[in-house]
Amino acid sequence: MSLSKKIVLLGHFGVGKSSLIRRFVEDTFTDNYKVTIGVHILKKEVEVTDKTIVNLIIWDLEGNDDIANTRPSYMLGTNGIIYVYDLTRPTTYQDLKKDLDFIKTNYANIPIKVVGNKKDLVTNVFLKENEDAFQPYTDFFTSAKKNTKVDKMFSTLAKDLIL
Amino acid sequence: MLQELKKSHKKDFTQYILLDNKGNIIDSDGVFYSQIINKNISSLHPFFESFSYSLSIPKKELIFSCIHLNTDKGNIISDILIKTLDDDNALIIIQDLSTHYKNYQLTAQKRNESVINSQILELKNKYLKEKEEFKNNFIANFSHDIREPLSGISTFVEILNKTNLNAEQKGYVNLIYASSNHLKHMIEDILDIAKKEVGKLNLVEESFNLKVFIESLVLSHQVKAKQKSLDFELELDSKTPEFILGDPYRLKQILDNLLDNALKFTHKGEIKLHVSLNQIRANKASIHFKVSDTGIGIEEENFEKIFDSFTQLHQEHHIQGNGLGLAIAKSLIELQEGTISVTSIKDKGTTFSTNLSFKVDNSNPQKVETNSTIEIKGKKEKYHILLVEHSEITQLAVLKILAAKRKFYLDIVSDPEDVIPILENQNVDVILMDINLPKLSGDELAKQIRQLSDKTLKKTPIIALTGKVFPEDLKRYKKAKINEVVSKPFDEASLLNAINKHLK
Repeated sequence: MSLSKKIVLLGHFGVGKSSLIRRFVEDTFTDNYKVTIGVHILKKEVEVTDKTIVNLIIWDLEGNDDIANTRPSYMLGTNGIIYVYDLTRPTTYQDLKKDLDFIKTNYANIPIKVVGNKKDLVTNVFLKENEDAFQPYTDFFTSAKKNTKVDKMFSTLAKDLIL
Repeated sequence: MLQELKKSHKKDFTQYILLDNKGNIIDSDGVFYSQIINKNISSLHPFFESFSYSLSIPKKELIFSCIHLNTDKGNIISDILIKTLDDDNALIIIQDLSTHYKNYQLTAQKRNESVINSQILELKNKYLKEKEEFKNNFIANFSHDIREPLSGISTFVEILNKTNLNAEQKGYVNLIYASSNHLKHMIEDILDIAKKEVGKLNLVEESFNLKVFIESLVLSHQVKAKQKSLDFELELDSKTPEFILGDPYRLKQILDNLLDNALKFTHKGEIKLHVSLNQIRANKASIHFKVSDTGIGIEEENFEKIFDSFTQLHQEHHIQGNGLGLAIAKSLIELQEGTISVTSIKDKGTTFSTNLSFKVDNSNPQKVETNSTIEIKGKKEKYHILLVEHSEITQLAVLKILAAKRKFYLDIVSDPEDVIPILENQNVDVILMDINLPKLSGDELAKQIRQLSDKTLKKTPIIALTGKVFPEDLKRYKKAKINEVVSKPFDEASLLNAINKHLK
């Protein structure tokens, strides 16, 4: 069985949404930051069980300081959400709870994964010291650069989409 | 003609696609995607896979802005309109706005890079500030912890020096004394730099005899100069006021550092300290201090560098030092609103000059005794001192100092809870109190004493013995009504002078 599911990646600009997608879809990474405007759409099949393949249609949205300003048309028909923040920039996670409340209110019952990206740039001590800010909400600490937990994060969401 | 020109230059920016409610393409003009009739729209691009649900909504019009598409004509950035029609078919209009969006992309790239860079810079600054703060706190705490055992070493070396020693033993004792003094000065230097970094380097103001001060100061440097076969000359202007108000400890630090520096880098010739009066205005004397040597000199490009912390220019000469002396001297001069200047000729010598202002003290100040022949004042034959101290080394040091004077009874307690019962049962004249006590800090204990109902007991003089002498610590002791603070490591003179002030 093959199913198509639309997922969107949300978060501030420069947090690494495009890098995570590029790593997942093409297994490539570049340190050069290139801003995303509008939306890029890519696709990748994920085998979630022996018999089920989820065709993830991944919408890479332009970064936004305020999640409430995300164009509503981009969110239409979304089956899953990945919220990405940058572990090295507090401005990208200081409103984490507020943003997640907004998502849960406006897109109820849609599976969501919260991701702290750029783990390669912080230490485990840093994560421990800031666990109050991260731990209650975060599902994965990823690194697109080092390919840490990127596949795991997308495939876990894909599984959630067929439940 | 014009029609033909228009036709040859015309470029289509819009594609129209008509499809049924299952997404099958009925008709299209093929501007970006060609030969697509009878194909399903979802095969063109993943974008079209995501909105099949909207085709089932009648009379709905949706606009998607800034969508990146890979087309048969290359990559475009487009706005896409999807409209469901009355007959259940749907119309898709793809409008290429690449030029417009690429301009926007350039602006967004610059804006985002600038924001990200400034956030990163801010974080780096915060990190550096935290690192600096950690370093300064670490230095302050570490230095404080070293003071305690050092206090024991200094005191017992002094005591040991007064016992019957043969010449060889005396030599060893002098070596220990010189080494512990060196260590003590290094700790003081490091602490001062840490204080300077956090803006906590403060001055006190007290009256002192400038002539006596300078003469006593140069004494030790004259000895050092003699050991190196150097001449030492003091030029002290007789017009300088006798008593001035200032911080003699800090002035001593400035001149000690300048003279030590001169002694270090001079191998033949002389060291000269010149002290003269510039002028007295509004009861404030401007005094000129000049330290000159005939040493190895400094190259002009290093004039600024020599005042940086931990800078040692002449490492090839293997001269002992921590590179803090001139940095501290400069900080202390600037703290007194003065400036320091340097002139030097390579291999000829160096001169450091500074002008400092002091209030002239026209009162008749009391002389503070600084040597170990201090006489114990007061009318009583013997005084009762209570020492509250948990360090056995300090207990023994105080005991030795006081016992030598034969004027004191000494009670020693290490548990703060024993203090008030002793006060209530015995006539204690002075309490010597460690601050870093177990269970209860010395300042908290002092507060409890000051709250006693007995008027005599609550006024018992309290002298703190502590290594914690930052301004905020001193404020805390003042608030706890502690009468006096003796800083660890202390010597015999400073302890006895402090006690003397409170004997009746």
